[in-house]
Amino acid sequence: MGSSTAIRELQRDLENKANDLSKLQKDIAKNHQVRKKYTIQLGENELVLKELDLLKEGANVYKLIGPVLVKQDLAEANANVRKRIEYISAELKRLDGTLQDLEEKQNSKKDAIFKLQQRIQSFQAGKAKA
Amino acid sequence: MERAAAGGKGTVTPFASMFPANEAQKAAKRVEEKIGEKQKELDCIKEFVTENTNLINLVSRLPDELNHDIMVPFGKAAFFPGRLIHTNEFMVLLGDGYYAERTAKQTVEILARRGKALDSQIESLMANMKDLKAEASFFDVTASEAAEGLVEIREDYVEENSREKHSKSDDKNNDEKVASEDDEYARIMSRLDELEKEELEAEDEEADAEDDDESAVEQPDAAENNDESDMDEQTDAAESNSENHDNTQPKAKFNQFPHQIHSEIRKPLQQTTAEALSNKYLPQQSITDTSNVLMQTPKSGFNSSKAFTCSIAESAETVSRNSGQQAVTSSQASEPAFDSSKAIIGSTVERADIIPKNSQQQAATSSQASKPAFDSSKAFTGSVVERTYNLPTSGQDAISSQSSSSQPSKPVSRFKMRRS
Repeated sequence: MGSSTAIRELQRDLENKANDLSKLQKDIAKNHQVRKKYTIQLGENELVLKELDLLKEGANVYKLIGPVLVKQDLAEANANVRKRIEYISAELKRLDGTLQDLEEKQNSKKDAIFKLQQRIQSFQAGKAKA
Repeated sequence: MERAAAGGKGTVTPFASMFPANEAQKAAKRVEEKIGEKQKELDCIKEFVTENTNLINLVSRLPDELNHDIMVPFGKAAFFPGRLIHTNEFMVLLGDGYYAERTAKQTVEILARRGKALDSQIESLMANMKDLKAEASFFDVTASEAAEGLVEIREDYVEENSREKHSKSDDKNNDEKVASEDDEYARIMSRLDELEKEELEAEDEEADAEDDDESAVEQPDAAENNDESDMDEQTDAAESNSENHDNTQPKAKFNQFPHQIHSEIRKPLQQTTAEALSNKYLPQQSITDTSNVLMQTPKSGFNSSKAFTCSIAESAETVSRNSGQQAVTSSQASEPAFDSSKAIIGSTVERADIIPKNSQQQAATSSQASKPAFDSSKAFTGSVVERTYNLPTSGQDAISSQSSSSQPSKPVSRFKMRRS
């Protein structure tokens, strides 16, 4: 009787761990998506920066804010784009860090689950023998 | 290969056990899906490129006129007539909500730069897809190979000396002193030098001979069946006779062998006969070896290691000799020769249908020497064929010293190994 309750406990534990693991995997997938978005934005901003650099002094530059185009200074626009690129790079770095963290967690969870499974198996084998 | 056979170290793993066919197919399918995704992306980008070029054309054409009469879209379904003015003023989206006021010319420049960026993207995508395609074809091949029953043969590389020691230890039950190893080594080295010279000449002939090899390789099928049946019948006899084997028979055989070689070296110019010689030579030599083992002569020391090269067919040969046929005719000798060459064609790609035969033949063999023999000849692959060119010399060598008649194949194989 004692062994069967132990097994039940182990199985509950295993279920919990599996849920955690799937949550982690979802997080990782989300992280990947966000990263993809940011990398695309980074590429776009770099293109913009290149074009802005090529513009001559005094060219009219507008920024689309909502439905209206707002006139901007070229220097200001340039600074803005640079800032944005910086921000995106920082964000990407941060995402990398969290991704690594998540993966570590995932691996440890996997290990834990594997061990749990082994324990359950050995339990069941012991029961079968007895 | 011989070494592995001697040490019993070779492992044969069916491909299917390592890569189950359906798994490989699944992997291939997954890669195919990935390729499909990439293809879609590529199509999308290509669309962008065409749009971009169209836009460039339009923009470069617009300032040709001061104004254009156009139909202005109004909602989804309605148009009204209008007129384009300021045909040389554009608001160009630079990306991320930034617009710049540009002239037509400047706009075209911007668009051209954008086109270049798209091109580089396409290039990287293409490279990506190429990789994926290679992967997919690899998986496909693996799947089909696994389905066909391909096997992987893995053998540890063992130094020749250690192998000799090994074979010697195998023959300890012969209770006979073995020819000194140093002596043998010196001979091998001298042979190597000889062969090195030979190789240069042989290199020229090699190309022509390659064709002959292939044709010769076709023959074994016919002979192979006979051999097998022979063998099965005679195995029992061999088992009983191998113990009390009489000395004169192998000796006669042994003497006969160099003669044959001798007569055959005269034709080395004809490549086809050279090929036949190689085939004939191999089993014969191993016959002598096994007989030596059975005879328990001092020669058995280094010859016995050669016995591992012998094919199963040759054990049948021994059997027939045991059963009282004194002289082994050349035709008989050539039969096992075909078998050995057959084993050679097997090469690394051992088909599943050969494997059962293998076990059957192994079961049929009586002496422990001939059991690994099949494996060894099987594993011998290309180097055996190449031996053709060295054979005449090895025959000469055999003549110069009869005791070393079976020697050549060892240095030859080592030579080949070193060269490749």
